[in-house]
Amino acid sequence: MQQSGRLHPITIAIREMADIFGRMGFGVVQGPELETEQYNFDALNIPPDHPSRDMWDTFWVKTKKGEEKKLLRTHTSPMQIRWLEKKGAPTRIIVPGKVFRNEATDATHEAQFYQLEGLAIDTNVTLAHLKGTLEQFCKEYFGTDAKIRLRPSFFPFTEPSVEVDVWFPAQNKWLEVMGAGMVHPLVLENVGVDSTKYQGFAFGLGVERFAMIKYGIPDVRLFHSGDIRFNYAFDQVPGPSEAH
Amino acid sequence: MKISRKWLQEYFEMPLPDTTALADALTFHAFEIEEATDTMLDVKVLPNRAADCLCHRGIAKELSAILDLPLKSDPLRTPLPMWDLRSPTLLQVEIEDSEKCLRYIGAVVKGVRVGPSPDWLREALEAVGQRSINNIVDATNYVMLNIGQPLHAFDASKLAQKDGTYSIGVRSAKEGEKMTTLSGEEFNLNPNIQLITDANADTPIALAGIKGGKSAEVTADTTDLIIESANFDGTTTRRAAQTLKLFTDASVRFQNRPSPELCAYGMRDVISLIRDIAGGEVASVVDSYPSRAEQGIVRTSLVKVNAVLGSSYSDTDVEDAFKRLGLPFSQNDETYEVTPPFERTDLSIPEDLVEEVGRIMGYENIPATELPPINGTPDQARYRGIEKMKDELVAQGFTEISTQSFAPEGDVILANPLDKAKPALRKNLEGNMTEAMARAKYFAPLVLPPNEKPKLFEIGNVFTNDGEALSVKTSEPVSGLSEIADDANYVPQQYRLGAYKPFSIYPFIVRDIAFWVSSGTDEEATKSLVQKNAGELLVRIDQFDRFEKDGKVSLAFRLVFESMERTLTDEEINAVMADVSKALTKAGFEVR
Repeated sequence: MQQSGRLHPITIAIREMADIFGRMGFGVVQGPELETEQYNFDALNIPPDHPSRDMWDTFWVKTKKGEEKKLLRTHTSPMQIRWLEKKGAPTRIIVPGKVFRNEATDATHEAQFYQLEGLAIDTNVTLAHLKGTLEQFCKEYFGTDAKIRLRPSFFPFTEPSVEVDVWFPAQNKWLEVMGAGMVHPLVLENVGVDSTKYQGFAFGLGVERFAMIKYGIPDVRLFHSGDIRFNYAFDQVPGPSEAH
Repeated sequence: MKISRKWLQEYFEMPLPDTTALADALTFHAFEIEEATDTMLDVKVLPNRAADCLCHRGIAKELSAILDLPLKSDPLRTPLPMWDLRSPTLLQVEIEDSEKCLRYIGAVVKGVRVGPSPDWLREALEAVGQRSINNIVDATNYVMLNIGQPLHAFDASKLAQKDGTYSIGVRSAKEGEKMTTLSGEEFNLNPNIQLITDANADTPIALAGIKGGKSAEVTADTTDLIIESANFDGTTTRRAAQTLKLFTDASVRFQNRPSPELCAYGMRDVISLIRDIAGGEVASVVDSYPSRAEQGIVRTSLVKVNAVLGSSYSDTDVEDAFKRLGLPFSQNDETYEVTPPFERTDLSIPEDLVEEVGRIMGYENIPATELPPINGTPDQARYRGIEKMKDELVAQGFTEISTQSFAPEGDVILANPLDKAKPALRKNLEGNMTEAMARAKYFAPLVLPPNEKPKLFEIGNVFTNDGEALSVKTSEPVSGLSEIADDANYVPQQYRLGAYKPFSIYPFIVRDIAFWVSSGTDEEATKSLVQKNAGELLVRIDQFDRFEKDGKVSLAFRLVFESMERTLTDEEINAVMADVSKALTKAGFEVR
């Protein structure tokens, strides 16, 4: 009998997340890894020569003079722009995908990793909905004892902006897991969405970070080194997570 | 930015709580704290508040709002002196481009005594990780760290006078011009870099907004100063700092565009401090302020606040937040018209005020609310189509790998690769698959049964001159595999994973053992016997053969040994296998 193989833990994690968000009405879309400066930064209210650009260490692609500047996307947020341009509001999507940061690698930093972006825009989507959505997600992903808290932060493409911590009962502490906020009206206007009529939230979570917390994986570099032992480093049982 | 608790305390009549409480107050209402000791907080001030909060006054003002403790005195709300700006005979300022230098206040201070700083000043600077240099330089650093205005002092005697007048120029550097900074480093300049010059001699005396030059350095012999309190354009300063690879406390502040109004407060405070600790008299002040900064009224309403936050705050809540933050407001029917103070350059749209209310009131007060259901089912068709392909491959015995997108060669090249040996983006998944297969074959005994060879697949994006595309790569051909197609109804297989079990970085050793048992023997029990005697270093045991002959049964097992701590030796495993053989023999089984 043919022995079955195994999926990569990232695939398993994203499927679980897509399933949880799917039950909250979120569709799944995916976008290019090789992006333009316009979509990755400018349209997200991160202008050139602005110190907020320092928040992302970027891999730039060699382009010819006069050609549009390209880079490896530093976050999955550009897909908010692409999607809203194409479909407009209202919308509710998640965007899983590979992103890139030009920084030295270590146990908690990799040059390439996966993010999962979320976007919910309608006439009356609020910060309270952001809180409710993320709390529901964390309870389903980590267990019903998990809870979240929001604290103030800054991203150029959200206002208000927050950092989200999750209470992880197994470790008895708060862990910072993601950034989020209400989509900045300028971002909506940039894609032709009427910000006086529509509003909503966006979030971006690190998939490896969530999996590392859930399964106790000590080093992010284990994920993308093409090592088959990583697939087999877990007992695996078919079926959805018990938490839901 | 490092903030001293003792320095903050100066701003308050009531004793402040300990740094742990201060850290919590800031964390939940303003900024993340990177580190806290008994005496110091390292506050992570993000770009939106770098114009007003990279200083003790800014943090004190935030704590005042959060803890609802009034400031004893606010340097940015106490009146400015009326300097005699009528006839600047001692000092002139020429600004070449008022978009690159928004304001320049220069002051001539005569008769100072340069020397060591008083203890309180030295300790204040050291408490936030700064070195004490001399009383003049320390005064400029103190005022910058206190209210956020970068300042600089030049030795006036090192500037040329024309008809008794000094002249400061603010201009772009010329191609090929050079300047040596205070720390002795020489820089080659170009027109992207803004300079402060001795305009009478047309020589550079500072890199504008970045660092002072050696030529006009204040030393122990200095008696007359020219003090600069200016505002340099953020983009110009940031570009210059990047070109020179020289980032300083001053350049970090200017790149975040503090208000030019702040210059006057900086000059007032540094003159006052210098007089106190070094003596001297102000002989002349020049203020070149071509176009005054105007900040508009920002409007919001209670309805807007609650509509964005999903809260149910009252007018009192909103007004209380504005009052505590020191944001003057008036009411026009349902609208609040807020006039942000000059230093709050981050407040310009209604949502900025919503955030002010939200964070001061506390996000713990926002109720977690479920999103309403949507009409129809969410579209996950394309994603599910890809996942269906993955499940088909898994069913056919393939294991999914994930590899790096960087490659030694390709059509798309990175301008700033992390690994210079891999400066390109992968054109296909082949190179990584070949490498992964070689390693998988090596590690196979650890994860696969003996008769199985590894079969791998990767699905990921590749980059060619034709663009970016999703590619499917398998380690060997798969017959009858369909193309990836959207499938809205496919439900991807989910898996529950247990906790991660680390694998060792040290090499493993494989040994086989085979033995005869009489027919009817409990074969599972023989496996357990082998396992028990093989000890803790055994990480895997698989049966790989069984056959019957002459009424006996031959069983063969593959054993894999590995240590988490060290490389195992053949000798020690030989010894283990000898133990296993001995136990089997003792149990009456003939080892082959």
